[in-house]
Amino acid sequence: MQKQKHSLASKLLLGLTVLFFYLPIIYIVVFSFNDSRSLTHFSGFSLQWYEKMFSDRTMMEAVGYTIFVAVVATIVSTIVGTLAAIGLSRSRKLLRNVVEQVNNLPVMNPEIVTAIGLLMFFSSLGVNKGLTTMLLAHIMFCTPYVILSVTPKLRSLDPNLADAALDLGATPLQALTKVIVPQIMPGIVSGALIAFTMSFDDFVISYFVTGNGVNNISILVYTMSKRVNPSINALSTLVIALITVVLIIVNVVPIIKEKRRTKA
Amino acid sequence: MKQFRNMVYPYVAWIAVMIVAPMLMIVLYAFTTAGNDVTTIRFTLDNFARFFSDQVFLDVLWRSLFIAVITTIICVLVGYPIAYAIAQRSEKSNMFWVLVITMPTWINMMVRTYAWVGILQDGGLINSLLGPFGIGPFKMMYTTFAVVLGMVYNFIPFMILQIHTSLTKMDKSYLEAAADLGANKVQSFLRVTLPLSLPGVLSGITLVFLPAVSSFFIPKLLGGGQYVLIGNVIETQFLTSGDWNFGSAISLIMAVIIMISMYITRKVDTDPAARGKED
Amino acid sequence: MEKKLIEFKNIVKEFDGKLVLKGVSLDIYENEFVTLLGPSGCGKTTLLRILGGFLEPTEGHVLFDGQDISKVPPYKREINTVFQKYALFPHMNVYNNIAFGLKIKKEPKDIIEQKVMRMLKLVNLEDYADRNVTEMSGGQQQRVAIARALVNEPSVLLLDEPLGALDHKLRQEMQHELKRIQQEVGITFIFVTHDQEEALTMSDKIVVMKEGEIQQIGSPTDIYNEPVNEYVANFIGESNIIDGVMLEDYKVMFEDKVFDCVDFGFDKNEAVDVVIRPEDLDIVPRTEGKLRGIVKSVLFKGVHYETVVETKLGTAITVKMVVKNGKPVFNAEANEKMSANDFYLDTADVDELDAATIIARADAQAWNPDTDEFVSIKDVVYQIKKENGTYPVTFSTAAGTSVTVNMIVKDENRVANKEYEEEIFAVNFFKNADEITESIALDTDLKTWANASAWSLEDGKAVEITNVHYDFDPETITPGVYDVTFSTEGYEYKVDTTDKYEVGDIVGLSFQPEDIHIMSKN
Repeated sequence: MQKQKHSLASKLLLGLTVLFFYLPIIYIVVFSFNDSRSLTHFSGFSLQWYEKMFSDRTMMEAVGYTIFVAVVATIVSTIVGTLAAIGLSRSRKLLRNVVEQVNNLPVMNPEIVTAIGLLMFFSSLGVNKGLTTMLLAHIMFCTPYVILSVTPKLRSLDPNLADAALDLGATPLQALTKVIVPQIMPGIVSGALIAFTMSFDDFVISYFVTGNGVNNISILVYTMSKRVNPSINALSTLVIALITVVLIIVNVVPIIKEKRRTKA
Repeated sequence: MKQFRNMVYPYVAWIAVMIVAPMLMIVLYAFTTAGNDVTTIRFTLDNFARFFSDQVFLDVLWRSLFIAVITTIICVLVGYPIAYAIAQRSEKSNMFWVLVITMPTWINMMVRTYAWVGILQDGGLINSLLGPFGIGPFKMMYTTFAVVLGMVYNFIPFMILQIHTSLTKMDKSYLEAAADLGANKVQSFLRVTLPLSLPGVLSGITLVFLPAVSSFFIPKLLGGGQYVLIGNVIETQFLTSGDWNFGSAISLIMAVIIMISMYITRKVDTDPAARGKED
Repeated sequence: MEKKLIEFKNIVKEFDGKLVLKGVSLDIYENEFVTLLGPSGCGKTTLLRILGGFLEPTEGHVLFDGQDISKVPPYKREINTVFQKYALFPHMNVYNNIAFGLKIKKEPKDIIEQKVMRMLKLVNLEDYADRNVTEMSGGQQQRVAIARALVNEPSVLLLDEPLGALDHKLRQEMQHELKRIQQEVGITFIFVTHDQEEALTMSDKIVVMKEGEIQQIGSPTDIYNEPVNEYVANFIGESNIIDGVMLEDYKVMFEDKVFDCVDFGFDKNEAVDVVIRPEDLDIVPRTEGKLRGIVKSVLFKGVHYETVVETKLGTAITVKMVVKNGKPVFNAEANEKMSANDFYLDTADVDELDAATIIARADAQAWNPDTDEFVSIKDVVYQIKKENGTYPVTFSTAAGTSVTVNMIVKDENRVANKEYEEEIFAVNFFKNADEITESIALDTDLKTWANASAWSLEDGKAVEITNVHYDFDPETITPGVYDVTFSTEGYEYKVDTTDKYEVGDIVGLSFQPEDIHIMSKN
């Protein structure tokens, strides 16, 4: 598009868009440093809500569980999803279609449907609701996203690449690790990133399948939001900061790498 | 290669257990009476009959559909101009704006919804900003307005991104061709850009309508305990009343409604006759 | 003869119930350059992939050096492959691509470096070791792929249509390059292609395949000079293939003439294909040739002319064109002019007749003489029966301007040619002189006006009418009756000549008995 003057309306619209998207986020961050309990009047800077948060055992436990579940679910679903996607790309069409359809169910279905299904499933098997069920559920709904993000990369791959590796003496495992995986790495990374944030942010499914006092951050915010509690703002700010750091790393690292590569 | 092909089988087993089995359980529970055990399964349609004969539940269903439709319409009407305004800019600027729109979606939805509480409260940001001008105070929390606002806030990025993709993917030469054939800016927008971006709008509609109709914590957080949508009914059945059969039936009804609406959207997408006389 | 290296024993391969290879047996010797030649889908790539170890045969065995390797995985075979589109690893540079196999074998670093450098030299890419493979041209990638395979010192190199992605000039360059490399490293190359030119220039042995079966195995000269059937002849080089009948041993009849030949062993009066290569035909003065014809086209091919001589017209029909000097009707009141022609019809056409067809066939037009804008024809009034006769038709506009012309139904408008199994159709027609003068594509217009078409009597498919012949000068035509002849393609011979002949020359064609190759049909 050639350089052109954007109309005032267009600028105004985008300005309002930014305001709409970011005002609530900024608001919550600002009031986490508020001196008083109020969520409406900023009376002075203080870190008391952070102190409260860090000394609150349930909050800290929730943060711990959230991070633990997100990390484990990301690692497992990334490995499982990548292997499954590679297997699928070589499978017969019928099997591939069926698996892709089933794989899409948790993505397309409303989360609450997936959630109650898992709830009944775990209960009927007599599994105690808690960390295990939450972890299994998270792996279950994260893996399809990994597959969805790896599959297009596999499709664009020269179908002879693996054959070429075998031809040159690589065992199937070597062909996988030395040729296929490096090729689809961008898909794996973005799949892992999606899996991590899906797990980290999940509320609905965790809410239904957890129990025995195992909470994650979202559940905690949900249950505590009924009363005014500025510690939630502090917790929310923590979440925002964490995700922002992850996003910055993911977005900036490739740029730095690219710059280094072009310099070299 | 056979070695690689085998890697799919563990996952097939996993999804059979973790995806298919729970889905089948929902169907099974929806069509049976309470107190089943393995030996005696009693099939029934009572759960569905109960839902459709009780005005309370029907009201909830209508309200959920109404809220979802309103949310979707607002997302289209507001999202389209935003996507269009972004698409008009340079490629670099496009990347930046896509990031701006995407960033918030990575942040916990619960946290972002909770953030509105402080803004909408009776003594919250909006009312305290309007107060000095003698406007208000407005009651916004625990109203339909708050619920719809919460939904639009959470789901509109999907709409913007879908429309934006279809606008930027569009071959610029279509517009040049339209201009060449004598269409002015408004005409080429109405006759070329709009019809060509319709698939984006339609997939945006699916991405907004689906979570909007099934959402249950947005109404709870911003609509209050009295604001009941179909998702809240399901939650109650499972976590408070413990009536799994009825709860399964309701979620099946919801799933069917969603399937029908997605089918219609897809039909509009593939059926050129439904797109207007232009084709 | 050298030692047998690879033996395919009755290889059958089935994909989803479809037989791709129908029992292929083939021996390949050491140091041979073997080409598997055939169109896509003939099974040549499948055969190669079975040898490479990427596919298992449904039936049969592959012996390598006398050992059955049907079950040996690809990474344990002493065979390397240059893949279609090369399959270079895009995340590695040239050096690492070539070193891949050696690194897998854990060879010492300095040995790897020596070997890679030697390979780079072999393929003329010494300065490209650090280059990213995705930034290289097709020809360079091709060389990297060859180097990557050869560095492992295989006893056989498989090449799967490696030149397919290159442009013509580069392809010719690579053909020589490949041959040179093969001679330099002295191992067996098995090359898959659908390009006969590639096969002829490079191979020691060509294997022509069709639908999962081997048609012929032989040296390029064997296959070129003595193709076993029409399929092979067509695939190998351009040929003139004519229908003929083998009267007895050493006697073949085609174009209604009997010729001596060197072939024998056919059934009496067996229908055969007669193959004569363009370079075996000579153009001689018309009285001295065995066949006589007219030069139809001459194309300069760099070192020679490809001259096409037509020995016989195709199926032809001559119709009468009646040229009138009709003036358009002028309706002063409405300020409209109108014109239309009489036209001929076949009885078979009567059923499908409608107003639009009649307007088109009669070329009925109405227009405003001042603005030259067309006025639409409102009414077409006619009555017609399905028998020979003359039927009037009246065209009129809304303003009342009208013209009446005749539709003449008449049969005998088709000519069938039993020998050619085709039929041609055309009708007499009426035209105004100015329409002929003003035509910008007269041949096409004449075909349209005469409603000329031709089709095969075997399958009803349309046959192109390639010749429209007439004796008048369209610029100066005057009212009268003229003959117009439409005809289909006749027998044509491609002849390679060094002299240039003019289109329209009448010449003779001469050839020797040994230049005629007889092939049984199928």
